[in-house]
Amino acid sequence: MTRPAGRLAPAAAALALLALLAAGAPAKAAGDALETVPVTRVDGVPHLGANELARLLDAAKFWRPDVRKLVLRSGAHHLVLTVDNPFVVADDRTLRLSSPVISLRGELQVPVELLESLPRDSALARLYYDPRRGRVVVLPAGGTLGAPRVAVIESATRITFPIDGSGEVTVANRSRQHFRVRFDAFFTGALPESLPGDGSILRLRSIPTSTGSAFELALSPEAQAFRIARSPRAGRVTLEFSPRLGPGLEPFAPEGPRGVRPIHVVVIDPGHGGADAGVTVGDAVEKDLTLALARQLRFELERRLAVRVVLTRDRDVALSIEQRAQAANKARADLVLSLHFDGFPAAAARGATVYCPPATFASRDAEARAGGPGRPVAVLPWSDVATRHAVQARALGDAVLGVMELRGLGPVRLRERLPLTLLGVNAPGILLECATLTAPRDRARVAQPSGLTDLAAGIADGIVAYQRND
Amino acid sequence: MKRRVLVVTLILAVLAWAGWRWTQRRPGLHERPAAVDTASAGFRAVQLYFASPGGDSLVGEARELVEPATLHERVAALVRELDRGPARGGVAVLPAGTSVRFAYLDPDGLLTVDLSRSFVQGFHGGADAEYLAVASLVRTLAANLSGVKRVLLVCGGEPIATLGGHIPLDRPIDASDWP
Repeated sequence: MTRPAGRLAPAAAALALLALLAAGAPAKAAGDALETVPVTRVDGVPHLGANELARLLDAAKFWRPDVRKLVLRSGAHHLVLTVDNPFVVADDRTLRLSSPVISLRGELQVPVELLESLPRDSALARLYYDPRRGRVVVLPAGGTLGAPRVAVIESATRITFPIDGSGEVTVANRSRQHFRVRFDAFFTGALPESLPGDGSILRLRSIPTSTGSAFELALSPEAQAFRIARSPRAGRVTLEFSPRLGPGLEPFAPEGPRGVRPIHVVVIDPGHGGADAGVTVGDAVEKDLTLALARQLRFELERRLAVRVVLTRDRDVALSIEQRAQAANKARADLVLSLHFDGFPAAAARGATVYCPPATFASRDAEARAGGPGRPVAVLPWSDVATRHAVQARALGDAVLGVMELRGLGPVRLRERLPLTLLGVNAPGILLECATLTAPRDRARVAQPSGLTDLAAGIADGIVAYQRND
Repeated sequence: MKRRVLVVTLILAVLAWAGWRWTQRRPGLHERPAAVDTASAGFRAVQLYFASPGGDSLVGEARELVEPATLHERVAALVRELDRGPARGGVAVLPAGTSVRFAYLDPDGLLTVDLSRSFVQGFHGGADAEYLAVASLVRTLAANLSGVKRVLLVCGGEPIATLGGHIPLDRPIDASDWP
C-alpha cells in the first residue's frame, strides 16, 4: 500500500490515538488458555471493542473522523461501523442491530449480535460469543465442541463429544497417565461431574492450549488401546478405550516394566564445557557447576544404588550432541541425566525445570499386533528415539522435581519437549535445569559449600523414588 | 367501469411510487457503504507475546501497527515490535537486534522465517530463556498471521540446530504446541 506524503501527519496522529486506545488494555496471561476476548456490558447489552473485533477478524482499520466511521477491511470483506448508529454495512448488506455502535472511553464498542450476521466464508474468521464465559473467540475450523458423554459399553469406555464441524483431532500424548487429545474446535460445554466407576477413565480435565481445545485423561491400567471415531454427519467424535488390542485400535506409549525399575547404568551429562561456558553470572559459571554437580551426584548414586555411573565428560571439554548421545548409548544407560543451570533476563524467575520427551510414540510391536501385518508402520527418526522412553522419562522428571520441591529447591516446572541433549539417546532421560543462576537466592544457595551436595542428594532421592516405582 | 379501474390503478401506482421514494429517504436503510479509503493509512491491531517475569509462560500485549502490505512486511513488523520489547508487564526474550530477512508461507501453513544472524549471536541465557524466545516468536506469528500452522526458523539463510543448546530448531515447530 502506498500513501501520499501529505497525509502522513493525520495518519501519525491517528496512529498515536489508536496506540493510546490499545495501551489501555492490560497485559494478558497467555499460558492459561486459548486466547479469548472479554465483552463489555453496556446497559446489559454485551459489546466487543472495535480494536479487538478488528484483530480477531485479521482486519485493517481505517478511521474516517469526518463522518465518524470506522472501516474494517479483511481481504475482500469490509465492515463499516458508524458511531451512535445501529446500521452496520457488511460488504453489500446493511444490517440493523438492536442497539447502536457506541463510543466508550475513546473506543468504538460493537454489540456482539453483529457476530452472528458476519459473512460466512473461509476468507473471514468466524467469531463466536460464549455467553457463559462472557467472551468472544475465533472459532477454529472444527467449530464448537459440546459437553461430552461418558459411557461403558461391552467393557470399552467411550467418551463422545458433539462437534459442529469437521476439525482435526490430534493425540498429543499417548501415555495412559497423561493421555492428551487436542480438538481443532472450541469447547463450549462442561465436563461431567462424575465418571462411571467401572470405566477406564480415572480423571478428565480441560487443559490450556493456544488453538482449539484440549483435554487430559488419566486411564486405568486395564485400558490397552484406543481409537478415535469421527462421525461428521452425526456431528460427533468418540474416543474409545478398550481393554484389548484389535484391528483399528492404537496402543498407548510403551511404559516399561511394572514394579521396581532395574537400574544398572546411569549416565550423567554435565552441560556445556570448553569454549561453551553456558550461563555465567558473576563467579557462577554453568559449565563448572554442572561438572562439579555431576561428580557429587556420581558419588551419591554409587553409594546408595550400587550402580555404574558414567559421566559424558569429566573435565572441561566441549562435546557435540552426537558425542553425548554416543556415550549414553555405548554405556547402555538405564537412565540419562543432562545437568544444566538456568539463566533468565528477569531476576524474578527462579527454581528448577525438567525437559522430557513427549509421549508421541507407540511401540512397533503393539502397532503390528493391533493392525495386523498389513498395517503401515510409522518411521521414527533416530534423533527422536528418546520418545520411545517418554513415559519413563516423565516419571523420572516427576520424581526428581517432587523431591526438589519438598526440599525447597523450587518452584519447579516440567515441560514435555524433546531437549537437544537427548537427541539420539536411546534411554529414559531428562534435561534438568537445577537452579536459576540469575535469581540471587538460587545463586547464593548454589555458591554455598553445601549447595551442590544438597542438590545432588535431592536428585539422588528422586532417582531412588523413580526406581521404587510405587 | 374501465375508467374507474384505470383511476384506481393510477392511484395505486402513485402510492407505490411515493412509498418507494419515502423508503429511499429514510436515513441509514440504504446507506451506501463507505468507500474503503485506500489513500489513507490503515492500522492493524496485533497481539504480541512476551515472557512472563517469572519465566513460566507468555503474556500477551496488544499493539497497533500501520497496515503492512505484504506477508514479508507483516512478519518483519511483528518481529520488530518483539525486538522493541514490552510496554507493560512482560519480559523481552527475543535476542536483541533480531530482524527478518525473508518470510514465506506455503499452502500447507508452514511459515519459513529467515532471521538475521543477531538471532543466534545475540542469545545469552539458559533453557527457559531459549524456550520462551522461541515460544514468543512462534506464538506471535501464529496469532497474527492467519493460516500459519507451523513455523520453521532459519538464520542467515541457513538451517539452525539450536539457539542456546537446549531446544532443537532443525525442524518445523507446531504453533499449537506453545500454550
